[in-house]
Amino acid sequence: MSRTLRWTASAMAAATLAAAVAGIVVSVVAASQGADRSVPPAGLAGLLVAVLVPSSVGLFVALRRPGNRIAWILLAGPLSVAVVMTGDAVAGLALHGHPDSTLGAWATLVAFEWPVLFLWPLALAFVFPDGRLPSPRWRPAAAVACVASVGIVTLLFLAPKLDGPYGKVPNPLPFDIPESVLLPLFWTCWAGLLASLFLGAAAMRARYRAGDAQQRRQVLWLAYGALLVPLWLGGGSLWSLLIGSTDPIDGIGLTVFQVWPGVAVAVAVTRHGLYAIDRLLNRTLVYAALTALLAGTYAVVALLVGLVVGGSAWSASLATLVAALAFRPLRDRVQNLVDRRFARARFEAVRLLRDFLDEVREGRAEPEDVGAAVALALGDPGAEVVFRLPETAGYADRNGRVLEGLPDDGRARSVIGRELGVLLHSPSLPPDLLRGVLDAAAVPVELARLRVELRLQLAEVESSRARIAQAGYAERRRIERDLHDGAQQRLVTLGIVLRRLQRSLPREAQLLNPALDAAVDEVAGAIADLRTIAAGVRPPRLDEGLAAALADLARGCAVPVDVVATADRAPPEVEAAAYFVACEALTNAIKHASPTRVVMHTARVDGVLRLLVSDDGVGGAQAASGTGLPGMVDRVAAQGGTLAIDSPQGAGTRVAVELPCAS
Amino acid sequence: MRVVIAEDTVLLREGLAGLLQDAGHEVVGRAGDADSLLALVGEHSPDLAVVDVRMPPDYDDEGTRAAAEIRRLHPETAVLVLSQHIETRHIVELVSAGGGFGYLLKDRVLDVDDFLDAARRVADGGSALDPQVVATLIGAPRPVAALDELSPREREVLSLMAEGRTNAGIARRLWLTERTVETHVRTILMKLGLSATGDDHRRVLAVLTYLRAIKG
Repeated sequence: MSRTLRWTASAMAAATLAAAVAGIVVSVVAASQGADRSVPPAGLAGLLVAVLVPSSVGLFVALRRPGNRIAWILLAGPLSVAVVMTGDAVAGLALHGHPDSTLGAWATLVAFEWPVLFLWPLALAFVFPDGRLPSPRWRPAAAVACVASVGIVTLLFLAPKLDGPYGKVPNPLPFDIPESVLLPLFWTCWAGLLASLFLGAAAMRARYRAGDAQQRRQVLWLAYGALLVPLWLGGGSLWSLLIGSTDPIDGIGLTVFQVWPGVAVAVAVTRHGLYAIDRLLNRTLVYAALTALLAGTYAVVALLVGLVVGGSAWSASLATLVAALAFRPLRDRVQNLVDRRFARARFEAVRLLRDFLDEVREGRAEPEDVGAAVALALGDPGAEVVFRLPETAGYADRNGRVLEGLPDDGRARSVIGRELGVLLHSPSLPPDLLRGVLDAAAVPVELARLRVELRLQLAEVESSRARIAQAGYAERRRIERDLHDGAQQRLVTLGIVLRRLQRSLPREAQLLNPALDAAVDEVAGAIADLRTIAAGVRPPRLDEGLAAALADLARGCAVPVDVVATADRAPPEVEAAAYFVACEALTNAIKHASPTRVVMHTARVDGVLRLLVSDDGVGGAQAASGTGLPGMVDRVAAQGGTLAIDSPQGAGTRVAVELPCAS
Repeated sequence: MRVVIAEDTVLLREGLAGLLQDAGHEVVGRAGDADSLLALVGEHSPDLAVVDVRMPPDYDDEGTRAAAEIRRLHPETAVLVLSQHIETRHIVELVSAGGGFGYLLKDRVLDVDDFLDAARRVADGGSALDPQVVATLIGAPRPVAALDELSPREREVLSLMAEGRTNAGIARRLWLTERTVETHVRTILMKLGLSATGDDHRRVLAVLTYLRAIKG
């Protein structure tokens, strides 16, 4: 479907070009034969430009957006104008010296449809730029315009006598309607058409007033043109009253009237991002220039080599090689030139963002600062980039703060890349600049949002690890309590029962005494074991502070252990972590380092609990070897702390731990 | 003597009561938590309150805090605190605050004679400190030069002194004559620079004060 439409559009543009060129050729031939022409060849050349400008804009739009109605108006209007002009030229040539020429009569009939010059700008005034009326209230006005246009075109076909270049010519169509019927109808339609021109100008104005800044800029140029309509018609009437002939005014007016809408649409498309085809135009320009340059290069090289060497195979190969080598640098050069010439702001902005990306790659800038770079590139200090989080589909700012929603503060929103982030910006930015910046910002935004996401997830993992560790300490505490208050209590009770039994034995049963003593000893041993187990799960002395717990730990150790501990308290989970790390460090030292002395030192400095366990053993411990060290590292990391091990071979081991006391 | 027992485990409470009654003491009240303990002590003015450290509602150190309260409000009632594990929170302060206070691990009860002895001593205004608490104090984290000068036997005697035992008690425990113990005590006090005194509790106090001072 769209393929057919594209072909149709191309065919219409080609037909317009062909008709206009044919018209000029015929005019030139007629002039050379001395025919008296109403429109001079110079005027025809002006009209060639007048039809080709809107026609090519229409073609570009249609190729990119085949469904766009404006494109078809821009294609159909100039085509009809070209046909009418060509008809005029053909009539001038065919009727020159042959007043009865049938071809001349038909050409005159075609040329008689000159009001088509008004019709396509009128249509444009009503429906530019979105192909729809400004509002449903404009339907009656549009209906008047349609009826008047169709009526004029039809009535002109039915006229019995046609105004030819050299006087009246009979209509070749087989109709015979008296002028007394046609003329009132014609003037009615003509009045309708004139009214429609004013209505079109009013529609333009209404659209301008209702639109936002962007739409206003797109409509502005065409609106200026629409303002010229009353000026032209009024001026023409005044001229005819004062001087007589309106030909010069009509000629200038018609040309302006044809060129203006095309230029206005072209400006809206290229400078204000209408239909988003400015890139296409840009590319076309670049490749056209590139093709010309490469062809030139090829030709020059082939020619020079041919002159020097003589062999055509050699010259062709060498020219191909040179052209191929020149392609890439030429392309960049031409692209830069075109951008610099036709999209200066965009060119600068994109270059700034490219420089920023280079800095990011070299580690001199953080990708999260892309928002600032974009604001600078756009010249919009209020511009801000928020990153879309891949996992949650939420948004976060540069600091990794998750946003409740996008701020609704009147700033416009533009999606960066494929949902990588959103640019919040002033609503009145040139779309071309904006799009260039959005494209150029995609890579740093992608980098930044992954980093932001990673940081958020890392924070989540850290807090969940801390929660798990805390739950672990709470569980140890519960188990310790259960051992002391459950099993141990019952063993004590059992021991008391045995003791009371023993003390109530009658004298003759006293021989049971040794057995009961043994039983009570067993119970006491079990209680002692249980106490040791409970202390291993969690030393109850931790309730009294890390210093007390470490002192107990040191006392129960086979190797002399010096404890220099602060009496300052830290949060329970921090003290627990420090205690267990100290336990593991001590166990490791005794197991692997054969020290003669171990020193445990704690201090609380600036909200950080420091623990240092050092021994005078063999050293050479590594974080990876042995089971204790990774365990310590995990324990410390769960509290957001750090652990450093310094263990040179043969010179003892120092385990230094820092735990933040978040309280 | 008249005793109030506070212990939330009923079987253990009844066992303790049985032991004390077997020894001829009168158990005038049984409590399961600190509040009813304080009420019973106020009502009966017993000679001794035997108190568990962990009691409802939080099972933390309600017993110790109730003990301090009793010592403050009812100085005539001595307190013997029983614990499942060693802790020194408040304990040393309570012992140091004056006679009539004891702190023992629960399983000491299984040495029935020792336990009854300690209970009697505390009720009479003396002290009883669990050997493990004493060990905790003596085995202080910092090396103590003065303690290094003591012979092993003298350290043993020092520990028993700190527990609140009399010279006779120490002699019985170490299978020594009382005269030998007296000699050891004199030597220890001299080495530590403490003045000799006949009062058992004042002696405990001096030793504890010394130990706490060097412990820093």
